[in-house]
Amino acid sequence: MDPKTSRVELLQGTLDLLILRTLAAGPAHGHAIARHIQRTSEELLRVETGSLYPALHRLEAKGWVAASWELSEKGKRARYYQLTRLGRKQLAAEHSRWDAFARAMGLILNPVEGEAK
Amino acid sequence: MREFFRKLGWLAGRGRREEDLREELQFHLEEESEQLQQEGMAPRQAQWAARRELGNLGLVAESTRAAWGWTLAVQLAQDLRYAVRTMRANRLFSALAIVSLALGIGANAAIYSFMDALLMRRLPVAEPERLVVLNWNARITGRHEFVMHSMWGHSWGDEKSGTTSGMFPYPAFELFRKNDAIFSSVLGYFEGGKNLSLTTQGQADMAGGEYVSGDYFRGLGVRPAAGRLIVGDDDRVGAPAVAVVAYGIAQTRFGDASRAVGQPILIDNVPFTIVGVAPPGFSGVDPAAAPDVYLPLHTNILVDAANPFGFKANGYVNTDFYWIEVMARLRPGVSREQAQAVLAPQFHQWVATTAHSDKERAQLPELVLTEGGGGLGNLRRQYSKPLYVLLTLVGLILAIACANVANLLLARSSSRRREMALRLSVGAGRPRVIRQLLTESLLLASMGGVLGIAVAIAGMRFLTVLLANGDAHFTLHADLNWRVLVAAAALSILTGVLFGLAPALESTRVDLASALKARLSDGGRSFWGAGLGRLLVAGQIALSLLMLFAAGLFVRTLSNLESVPLGFNRDSILLFNLDALKAGHRDPEISTFYAGLRKRFSEIPGVRQASLSNSPLIGAGFGLDLSLPGEKPDDDTRLMPVGPGFFHTMQIPLLLGRDFEERDGPASSQVAVINERFAKKNFANQSPIGRHLILWKDRDRGISGRDMEIVGVAKDAVYGQLRDDIPPVVYFPYDQGYPTPRGMVFELRTTGDPLAYVGAVREIVRRADARVPLAHVKTQSAEIDQSINGEITLARLCTAFAILALAIACVGLYGTVAYNVARRTGEIGIRMALGAQRGRLVWAVLREVLLLAAVGIAVSVPAALAASALVESFLFGMKANDPAALGAAVATLLTAALVAGYVPARKAARIDPMMALRQE
Repeated sequence: MDPKTSRVELLQGTLDLLILRTLAAGPAHGHAIARHIQRTSEELLRVETGSLYPALHRLEAKGWVAASWELSEKGKRARYYQLTRLGRKQLAAEHSRWDAFARAMGLILNPVEGEAK
Repeated sequence: MREFFRKLGWLAGRGRREEDLREELQFHLEEESEQLQQEGMAPRQAQWAARRELGNLGLVAESTRAAWGWTLAVQLAQDLRYAVRTMRANRLFSALAIVSLALGIGANAAIYSFMDALLMRRLPVAEPERLVVLNWNARITGRHEFVMHSMWGHSWGDEKSGTTSGMFPYPAFELFRKNDAIFSSVLGYFEGGKNLSLTTQGQADMAGGEYVSGDYFRGLGVRPAAGRLIVGDDDRVGAPAVAVVAYGIAQTRFGDASRAVGQPILIDNVPFTIVGVAPPGFSGVDPAAAPDVYLPLHTNILVDAANPFGFKANGYVNTDFYWIEVMARLRPGVSREQAQAVLAPQFHQWVATTAHSDKERAQLPELVLTEGGGGLGNLRRQYSKPLYVLLTLVGLILAIACANVANLLLARSSSRRREMALRLSVGAGRPRVIRQLLTESLLLASMGGVLGIAVAIAGMRFLTVLLANGDAHFTLHADLNWRVLVAAAALSILTGVLFGLAPALESTRVDLASALKARLSDGGRSFWGAGLGRLLVAGQIALSLLMLFAAGLFVRTLSNLESVPLGFNRDSILLFNLDALKAGHRDPEISTFYAGLRKRFSEIPGVRQASLSNSPLIGAGFGLDLSLPGEKPDDDTRLMPVGPGFFHTMQIPLLLGRDFEERDGPASSQVAVINERFAKKNFANQSPIGRHLILWKDRDRGISGRDMEIVGVAKDAVYGQLRDDIPPVVYFPYDQGYPTPRGMVFELRTTGDPLAYVGAVREIVRRADARVPLAHVKTQSAEIDQSINGEITLARLCTAFAILALAIACVGLYGTVAYNVARRTGEIGIRMALGAQRGRLVWAVLREVLLLAAVGIAVSVPAALAASALVESFLFGMKANDPAALGAAVATLLTAALVAGYVPARKAARIDPMMALRQE
């Protein structure tokens, strides 16, 4: 199957959550974040560079992530992002909101299951 | 707050952040291509793929920057810098745009400031919003079938709204005063005229006075600048005669407000004592009146005692004589509507009892309460309609100026298409480019606005002089307040957005590939790049035609008024008022006093003749009961008491009989001269000479005042307003009995400038009696001009505005044609190289211009004809759809358009084909 046809469009507002979740595992640079999201979602989600960097800078402006220049594993200068305390709180809040949203969507989209219970 | 400082910190380190962003995106590209290579792609291909995947690098950077916040401010600074640079590069264009906008905005702000002074001004009193004015309104069909038998004051209205007036009989005022449940005070007043003689410390002057009821100042909530104001106890018969003077008078006469208190003052030769001074800035309830002195209401009996036509004591009990104006202060919590609901039935009931017949009962006046906080509406009624016309005209000018700037911007933006395409293709968002273009137009507009305020200040001074036209009592003063400034600012911004948006949208809607490939010369098929540009030029032409037509109408009205046959020679006549009655002279001595003065005036070297009359002919209006013997008297015939040699002095030709002579004095037989109209009306083909006229002193009791023999027939001369038809007039000597002379106007026919004789006149009057004030000194020509001041002002302003509009539109037309010619130099060069005739090229350009003018005119003519009906009441001697004015407007416009088009067209024809082609 052509991977492109099965790719899922990112929902509005979910990119922030994905970035925050990725960074929860530890600091990373922009390219690594994009790649992580892509791999972990089994190539279903693909982050457009055109939205990734504006999002990263927006999160930085909000104080949820902090950035610093570090050397990458290949020894090149790269801009690394890491979660701040505020970002961790935000991640927890958005995570639970997403869970609630997903459950609600599930209940509506698969009603038989719900009624059987 | 922390957010703010964080952003501020970022702003400071902006340069470093730009660097960071570039490096970060570069790193991303490298990582991506490395990864692709690992997946088996060739290095070069991988690089391209990575680049493609990242998309438009500039756009990514731009939207990332947007996340920093502050971008708006940073971009604005960038835009402004860029806009200033563009303006500097196009000095002529920018100057034209700014100046035309400044004129448009300035003219609007100036006219608006007058509207503001007229409509928004509040009286300088406590809580003006609680004041109401009492008026009555009635539909009067028959003049002699109305409860009001006589009135002092004015009424207004038309067929639709009926007659409205603020004058009431005194008993009605007393009725209103009883309503203390709804009114905290009720104040009455009446204008004493502008011809009171005011004598302080031996010096007499004419002054304006206002008679006010005891509650006047308390009701308005005004505090004195010195002493005390008039109170209830001053306003009764027999009270000591006290006066309150205006602040300005106290300063000029006594040097200081506090020094005026306690001073004696003669008003029409009646002694008063000044008890106080009104506060500065307070000029009564009628902004048009601005009295110099306030007197208790009941003293009008005292002041008018010597005047045979003055106020009589029974005016306070007469229910058919309407003369007092009434204002009231609402109690807190009472609305105007509530007060009206209470008062209207009361007044209706009362006025019904004053009716003398069923016919009078059938058309009773109804009480109407109107807002009083702005003062009386006399100025408003006089000036608001012409000001609305002017406001419309300056609005049109602004529209033309805006269209002009939009057109210039449009022409320029079409040459900037490549620049725009380039900016769009390197990643600038369309909104961003539009914003850049809007910044440019807003900058132009704000500079126009700032300059416009200077224009407005000059314009307001000019307008004040123009509207006042020598009237010392002109009280409509406009000033630059925050409302005017806000209006100017709002206009600038509005115009900036209006004329900036269309070209901005137009020029950013480009097909990038074709625009980049296109040559500069590749315009549309015609000389006008875009349809929008044609539309704007046609619109300008249409608006200019409207203004030219309006100017034509008003100019023709003025010339019609100026060419009204006066019936007398207006040149070299000096006019001035002398009122000996107010200085204590009484009949019959007053007649010899005037006769002596006339003799001395006529002896001044250079004065050819001197005479006197009851009033100037222009603006005259005097009638008493008159009849032929045995016929029913009426007061429709206009009268004019005059001195010896009147017709000779005024150079009114006599058709039959003789002029009045010195022998027609108090002792000789009573005589009269009639005008042509009167002769035709009453004597048809018979000779009037030797016939008699009776002037009735009391027609009801059959007491005659004069039995006059007609000794002459004069040619018709203007009597009253220039606009009105000449009425039947009877002239008679001022000193032959009833009515006895009061104030007189002297007419001196001079050699050379009449005003050169004022000094000699003043000296003669001073020697005769220094208590007699000399007033209203002016030439006959100035008197006539003042009587048509409104028309003169309107015609002059309209012409100025129309020329301005035409100039702006021509600059626009010229600019656009010139620009397009320049743009198409290459094409013209090719055409000429292929053998096109120069003449044909000129014609090709001119045909476009004419076509546009024709479209503009075709649209405008019906609009002009429809709009002109609205100003019909301003016109004189012609219809609103005057073909001459319309024809002149169209001809002027076409000529101007052709000239504006011809200059660049000829330039196009002079293009050297070789040069043009090489340029390509």
